[in-house]
Amino acid sequence: MTWGRVSVGEMPYLGSEETVKELKRALSNPNVQSDRLRYRNVILRVIRFMTQGLDMSPLFMEMVKAGASVDIVQKKLVYLYMCTYAKLKPDLTLLAINTLRKDCADPNPMVRGLALRNMCNLRMPGITEYIQQPVLTGLRDKASYVRRVAVLGCAKMRNLQPDAEIDGTVVNELYGLLRDPDPVVMVNCLRALEEILKAEGGVVINKPIAHHLLNRLKDLDAWGQSETLGFLLRYRPRDDTELFDILNLLDGHLQGGDSAVTAATLRLFLQLASGHPTVQADALVRARGPLLATCTASSRELRFTGLCHVQRVLRSLPAQFSPDYKKFFCSYSEPGYIKFRKMEILVELVNDDNVVLVLEELQAYCTDVSPELAQAAIFAVGRIGRTYSERGLAILTGLLGLRQEHITSAVVQTFRDLVWLCPQSTACVCQAIAGCEEIIQDSDGKQALIWLLGMHGDQISGAPYILEDYIDSLKTELSTLVKLELLTAMTRLFLSRPAETQDMLGRLLHFCIEEETDMCVRDRALFYHRLLRCGVEETRQVLGGPKSDPSLGLIAGRPEEPINNWAAHFNTLEPVSSSGSVVAGIGCDGAALPTLGGSDGTTHSAANCTLAVQEASEDLCSGLPEEATSFSLTLGPALTPEAFEKLWLELETFQTVSLPCSEPSSQPETLQAALQLVQIQALAFSRPGSVPWKAYLYAHGSETIILAELLCGPGSDEDRLLVTVKQEPRDEKVQRGFLSVLETVLQTLVSDAT
Amino acid sequence: MIGGLFIYNHKGEVLISRVYRDDIGRNAVDAFRVNVIHARQQVRSPVTNIARTSFFHVKRSNIWLAAVTKQNVNAAMVFEFLYKMCDVMTAYFGKISEENIKNNFVLIYELLDEILDFGYPQNSETGALKTFITQQGIKSQPQTKEEQSQITSQVTGQIGWRREGIKYRRNELFLDVLESVNLLMSPQGQVLSAHVSGRVVMKSYLSGMPECKFGMNDKIVIDKQGKGGATDDSGKSELGGSSGKQSIAIDDCTFHQCVRLSKFDSERSISFIPPDGEYELMRYRTTKDIILPFRVIPLVREVGRTKLEVKVVIKSNFKPSLLAQKIEVRIPTPLNTSGVQVICMKGKAKYKASENAIVWKIKRMAGMKESQISAEIELLPTNDKKKWARPPISMNFEVPFAPSGLKVRYLKVFEPKLNYSDHDVIKWVRYIGRSGIYETRC
Repeated sequence: MTWGRVSVGEMPYLGSEETVKELKRALSNPNVQSDRLRYRNVILRVIRFMTQGLDMSPLFMEMVKAGASVDIVQKKLVYLYMCTYAKLKPDLTLLAINTLRKDCADPNPMVRGLALRNMCNLRMPGITEYIQQPVLTGLRDKASYVRRVAVLGCAKMRNLQPDAEIDGTVVNELYGLLRDPDPVVMVNCLRALEEILKAEGGVVINKPIAHHLLNRLKDLDAWGQSETLGFLLRYRPRDDTELFDILNLLDGHLQGGDSAVTAATLRLFLQLASGHPTVQADALVRARGPLLATCTASSRELRFTGLCHVQRVLRSLPAQFSPDYKKFFCSYSEPGYIKFRKMEILVELVNDDNVVLVLEELQAYCTDVSPELAQAAIFAVGRIGRTYSERGLAILTGLLGLRQEHITSAVVQTFRDLVWLCPQSTACVCQAIAGCEEIIQDSDGKQALIWLLGMHGDQISGAPYILEDYIDSLKTELSTLVKLELLTAMTRLFLSRPAETQDMLGRLLHFCIEEETDMCVRDRALFYHRLLRCGVEETRQVLGGPKSDPSLGLIAGRPEEPINNWAAHFNTLEPVSSSGSVVAGIGCDGAALPTLGGSDGTTHSAANCTLAVQEASEDLCSGLPEEATSFSLTLGPALTPEAFEKLWLELETFQTVSLPCSEPSSQPETLQAALQLVQIQALAFSRPGSVPWKAYLYAHGSETIILAELLCGPGSDEDRLLVTVKQEPRDEKVQRGFLSVLETVLQTLVSDAT
Repeated sequence: MIGGLFIYNHKGEVLISRVYRDDIGRNAVDAFRVNVIHARQQVRSPVTNIARTSFFHVKRSNIWLAAVTKQNVNAAMVFEFLYKMCDVMTAYFGKISEENIKNNFVLIYELLDEILDFGYPQNSETGALKTFITQQGIKSQPQTKEEQSQITSQVTGQIGWRREGIKYRRNELFLDVLESVNLLMSPQGQVLSAHVSGRVVMKSYLSGMPECKFGMNDKIVIDKQGKGGATDDSGKSELGGSSGKQSIAIDDCTFHQCVRLSKFDSERSISFIPPDGEYELMRYRTTKDIILPFRVIPLVREVGRTKLEVKVVIKSNFKPSLLAQKIEVRIPTPLNTSGVQVICMKGKAKYKASENAIVWKIKRMAGMKESQISAEIELLPTNDKKKWARPPISMNFEVPFAPSGLKVRYLKVFEPKLNYSDHDVIKWVRYIGRSGIYETRC
């Protein structure tokens, strides 16, 4: 506990027990009690210690007595105290109830409200019977202040007895109070009803209520507005005329209110107009100004939320903010989290007109004092380089000249992804990486360099000798991944330059098999050893593979998403916290995933790792027993979420199996891309890490459609995934094939992530 | 909704802790301290998720304010709430500092009790809050006896932000146009980005339920009037001050809830019943035709490996009759600086080793003037091949005009029930332009 560092300056030398005793004496001293100021000061000290986390509950009796005072400030302090400790001392709390109930009938509305509020705040069992009557009376009080308190009091009562039956009269009364002249009472009613009716799906918004709320919107303060707009999300207009009437009413709020209100209005707009993409797009265009304003707001936290939401909009309308790209240039004094976001946005905004200036700007960040930021900037340049490869490469090769560890490492990692996605840059990269081995120290950079040397060793004259240095220092190498990478690269290079590498490969394999303690490395070495013994041609077949895959660039350049994909989560925590780890920032959202180094020597970036999945599934298909080879899955006609839901409810469960793998911890995008490669379409995912974690998938195959639900969480074991499959018409063969493909994909992803 | 609100000092000691919902326990207080305040690395995000609990935090000087929730809430709203909380506290006791918070801690608990109930925001207008908080009173204005007697007849509710029956002997209005001008300039003097974010802050001490109308040189309004040929003579007079001929393009603006948005949309007129006391009438942003009060011209020359010559010229670019104040130019120096000699024509300049910068301060400077500083920086030879990244030169200042060019054209007050007219109200207008992030790369 923190009390050891009591910095209040009052008797730090006393232990907590002594402090309590001393305070107790002071509280019951009649001399103190008769002096208002001294009395209040003692109470103040009690609250202070309570704030710091000391247990002040032994003073409950004395504090209750102190509450029976005419001094309102003192009353408030005592109430605060009682609310904190009521749970521990229920019997003593009952003593105070009478005073509180008396206060509830005080002629001063402030005293009435105060007493009622605090009575409802006492969190202890059995209090409900005492507060029910005062709360009901409070609902009809003539002062709005008391009504506000009483309305929320209903919610608090419900919270105390979550299992009790819902009191219909209270609910009706609250619905009636929605028409209260006081705007705060109205909003409180919505809040209270929402909590009371939680089990039934929350407060019901029918047509009269919806229109009433819309008309009252202008009387509310910013919070009220933004919460009410949230409740209105529940309302579905009957027809288009009504829909457009509502949209017209909301129009003013789209541009006028403060940032939270604008965002809430935009969300409602998008949701209401989910069937009218043009209206949605129009709303986004009109909300551009306010969104930009939030991005340049003077307080950084607001700026941050603004940027997060702009990113959402960009997913569907990439061109929307292009003219304003300069607004997303970073300022030197901004905190890292804003700079990371801005860079991500800049990457999305690049077009033919601004590419020069954007790259110039990003180039300036590449030499930032913070290594993390510099690396993120380099990855950003790399992402732009996928489209504008010449310009990107020029900057990246220029950076190598600085000969700084973190910069070189990031550049080489970027090179690796570039070479894979844009084969035309290979020659330039091969020339540039000479000499990098002296500078790179971290394992991510080393892996990238070794991969490049292995893959394109035929174009780099010194490749064998650089790898030889790595082999010589293998004893001191700590990273397993680097060793695995080295094994693969060396074997690959052996295929193209056997004369120079034969001896080194022998040494490497010998070392890994004889002296290596890491089983993973040892097994890999044994694997290559056996493979080589089968013959060079066989080895070439296994390791050959393509050297680049420009088509995978498509996964990197995200396709334009329909607005409805993200509209539901707009203006919630999701856009803000999907940043979870801003560290991986740039990497996580796109495909340049330096953090996702595969455990398989052949997997490097997300793109590659999904490729591995493809390979694996191909292998699987070819390796399956006779009967399964005939099956194939296709993405087929797309299924809308509604159609999926309908079909899901109609069909009976075909089979439920539990697969021995846990929830894939990779990003939803990666998962989706991986599944798509094996022709399974993912419809919806829970956020990573949520419990229960769920995902809905479907696939077409041999004239049947398969729907599946993945479930991981309470009810099932931690490391098992419950799969429920439904199919129409039923076809056992296809269904078995589907399950095995799914299992392979999931296991690959899980092993990748760990 | 907000489950709890905590205030910490820079060491992570809890100064204020108020829990509104059962789902937030005492351990949340410690979780934030351990994971954010005591975290080794820089703050990763203003929203931190720890064990399915979200912590929203803002920092004021070295005080941390954190709002905690388990619900999926609207992040912008929570931040706006925290800012509002800071504003309210500032209105009551001035700067938010550890000492002030400790001294006013009863008051803060009282405020927290009124502002949030069960985690839901209730009332945050300083004026209206005044009724419920019985402490020493608001800093900006003493409470009158009449107001105290008002406590019993509390708001009937039509207008949440203003009480009825307010009376003043002198009806006064203070209008502050506060702008912060932001600039990012390339070494060649090219503007990379510039914008002004401004606020119109009003302090109204008016009796009754007055209706106000506010006019400024907004381009859309002026153009409209020009076309229609109808000149609004009655309003154009008293407050405009100097020339009102130039109009400005406002990119976007947001208003206090008291402004009737429908009227603004249809006729671009800003009319409202003002809250009592201090409040923010509008916020706006402009990006076009910004008057940049200062130009910074840097010149950096590397003389060999151990010496740097820096010359910086600043030019003030506004009317000679106006005076800029609190000018501070911050010229960054490399990490391996061993000594610095500075010569400046005006003001005082000092090398601050701890901040790795030369700080040049000038108390006052008139418009259309120029001043320069030159410095010789001695460097220690290092093995570090790292190239110095040359952070930009930043500047702070305060000028008595609005860099966006915004002018108040009129502010009219009507109170139909009480017998005072627009002419009886004493009105004050003030323009202050401050630097936001004002950087020139070198």
